[in-house]
Amino acid sequence: MLPPHRTGSRFVVHFLSLIFGGSLRVSGSFDAVATDLAVAAHARPPIWRNSTILKWSIQVVVLFVVLGVIWFLADQARSNLSARGIPVGYGWLDDPANIQLGEGIQTVDSPERRLTMSRALWVGMVNTLRIAVVGIIFSTVIGVLVGVARLSQNWIARKVAAMYVESLRNIPVLVQIILWLAILGSLSSLTLDSGPIPGWLYVSQKGISLPRVFLADGFYQFMALMGFFGVGIWLLRRRLRRRQDLLGGNQRVGLRLSAVTVVALTVAWFVNPVMAFMGPIMRGIETAWGSVPEQAVQILVAVAAITGAGWWIRGFLLSHRSPAGMTKLIDDDYFKMVFAGLVAALMVLVITVIWPGMASWMINSGSDFWGLLGDKFGDGRGARPLDAMRPTLTEGRFVNFGPSGLTMTVFYASLFFGLVFYTSAFIAEIVRGGILAVPKGQSEAAAALGLSRAQTLRKVVLPQAFRVVMPPLGNQYLNITKNTSLGIAVGFSDIVQVGQTVYNKNAQTLAVFSIYMLFFLGCSLVISSIVNFINRKLAIVER
Amino acid sequence: MSIADRALTSEMASRPDMIQCRGVKKWFGDFQALCGVDLTVKEREVMVVLGPSGSGKSTLIRCINRLEVHQEGQIVVDGVELTNDLRNIEKIRSEVGMVFQLFNLFPHLSVLDNVTLAPIWVRKQPKAQAEIRAMELLERVGIPEQAAKFPGQLSGGQQQRVAIARSLAMNPKIMLFDEPTSALDPEMISEVLDVMKALAADGMTMIVVTHEMGFAREVADRLVFMEAGDVVEVGTPETFFTNPTEERTKLFLSQIL
Repeated sequence: MLPPHRTGSRFVVHFLSLIFGGSLRVSGSFDAVATDLAVAAHARPPIWRNSTILKWSIQVVVLFVVLGVIWFLADQARSNLSARGIPVGYGWLDDPANIQLGEGIQTVDSPERRLTMSRALWVGMVNTLRIAVVGIIFSTVIGVLVGVARLSQNWIARKVAAMYVESLRNIPVLVQIILWLAILGSLSSLTLDSGPIPGWLYVSQKGISLPRVFLADGFYQFMALMGFFGVGIWLLRRRLRRRQDLLGGNQRVGLRLSAVTVVALTVAWFVNPVMAFMGPIMRGIETAWGSVPEQAVQILVAVAAITGAGWWIRGFLLSHRSPAGMTKLIDDDYFKMVFAGLVAALMVLVITVIWPGMASWMINSGSDFWGLLGDKFGDGRGARPLDAMRPTLTEGRFVNFGPSGLTMTVFYASLFFGLVFYTSAFIAEIVRGGILAVPKGQSEAAAALGLSRAQTLRKVVLPQAFRVVMPPLGNQYLNITKNTSLGIAVGFSDIVQVGQTVYNKNAQTLAVFSIYMLFFLGCSLVISSIVNFINRKLAIVER
Repeated sequence: MSIADRALTSEMASRPDMIQCRGVKKWFGDFQALCGVDLTVKEREVMVVLGPSGSGKSTLIRCINRLEVHQEGQIVVDGVELTNDLRNIEKIRSEVGMVFQLFNLFPHLSVLDNVTLAPIWVRKQPKAQAEIRAMELLERVGIPEQAAKFPGQLSGGQQQRVAIARSLAMNPKIMLFDEPTSALDPEMISEVLDVMKALAADGMTMIVVTHEMGFAREVADRLVFMEAGDVVEVGTPETFFTNPTEERTKLFLSQIL
């Protein structure tokens, strides 16, 4: 293995010779490695024929062109808006909203809790996420069931599933959403004694109201306690697994674990106030965090960025070492290492020059976070982690997020049903395709070994089908998230509808659209990174 | 003497029957794949089935562990008749090992997990014990050092040997081989055939569908020639290759030898 200082000098010389297209001559004063490289560098192709140099320089040029075009457009928009007297920027986010929101975590403006523009947009985002997350869960469950049913040996199940898929995926989703609104709107009006189960479950043209389970005072203490118990349960699980491996037969691992978990949950439910001591600890962290000087954070971030880049480059070089020594790095590799260094430099530049306020922002939000956690832990507050409440009528209607149960408005419900049924039809087809993609020989081999049908499915077919299913399933999750914007057709207060109301009021169309784009981009990136992570975990080793 | 018992030496005739087929018929839609096959396989016998493609060789052995369902006739494996009774089917399948032309290893499991899957889940063996047994079997087929790898990382010959070890892990009484070397590169055929020869020498009851005439001549106790869903000729290797009685057998041998 080469000592680091030699690697470093070799790296610098090589990179310089790369840039100067092999014209660089190194005098004899360098060490032997460098001279060797200079000889090798002499044989390089001229710069205009070096494919690596061309590839990277074209990328740099394209990057600058794209940035230039964006800057030009932004500048045009800025001057045009100024000419029309519309302020540029995001200052309006703190203005009072004066918007009537249909539903969400906050619908009215009150002196204690102002409904600003940013708050209104946040309410819209939460509404969108409510539909997207719950929709993803439900469409997956329904889709998997229907997909498996389409391959069932039961003739009726097969035909019913086929009809479900063919009818739902061939009608535009917007039509389905509006149809659901029409169906729900034709239900009877809401009274105290209406609903399938009066006092518990109401279904009416106002929506669907059911008891709400919510997090009560003891929740965070309960979760912290369960965290400790979880470690114990995990250790027990490991022990039981090992026992199963050693003894064989059926050691009832699942049954024993569930029993222990139930006991742990019960204990934690009643004794959770013991965890209240964590509140003061977190307040302490809040104070400590808040008293960190800005310069210290700046230095810390800068050091972290540089160290990070250094570690990355070191790991990169190490991964290119064979037992015999350094493998030859290709030109791409040198550019990659320089790029890592540039990213670190940019970070340093951002924290010190471009956005010096970032340090104080990190200090404030960090200490706010710990303060919030400290508040949640309280000082030995109420013992119950969860509480439930039945829907109650106030002024002839249900408040959908108040102390009055949980209400799915007809707008939410129609968008939800429309999206879930539509998407589940596609997911069913994906699941069916995934199962059919597993070669028949696999289940034959499993059957020939004596595995039962259920074992074959669980141990052989599904693990392989899941691998095929995952990427298109991720696409459907992205679709359902983006399709929530169709809520505008039924007046559901999702981010798009709220945003539209906002820019109709203050003409900040571009700013609102930039928020839309960032929001949906963020959602999509989260979903696809989860899917990619699972994909990597499931990848079959080929070579 | 019925065709099923033809060409048996008196010593072999005295052994118990492992597999009995009586008038087995099988249709795929309108196409009749098996037209009343009669066949008896004795304990510790190696039977090689020959015939042109489409003659029903594979269908026959797939019927024996009920990967295909025969429609008429009777198949009795180790004293248990194959019917729709699920318990019988699972019992027979765990006693009859099968090796496929395309290996059909489980690509998502390591070699070791491929071999231990059935012992752990069907026989409910402890994992540690199943793994010790699996390593013995991998040693027997000559690739213990590949245990941690995945099937995709092995050559065709190695994969087929893993497949043999996987079947042997269930301690089967009978092994069925469905053209085990047809998908292999020529230089890998012998490593698989060597494993099969060693298995035969250990006294395993085997039915082998193959085109490897050298193997058939060397290892088989009896040869069966099938054509168009019928057993045409049954004979010992000597008489079969040097002095076949049927015209169709002669024609087949003249084409392949």
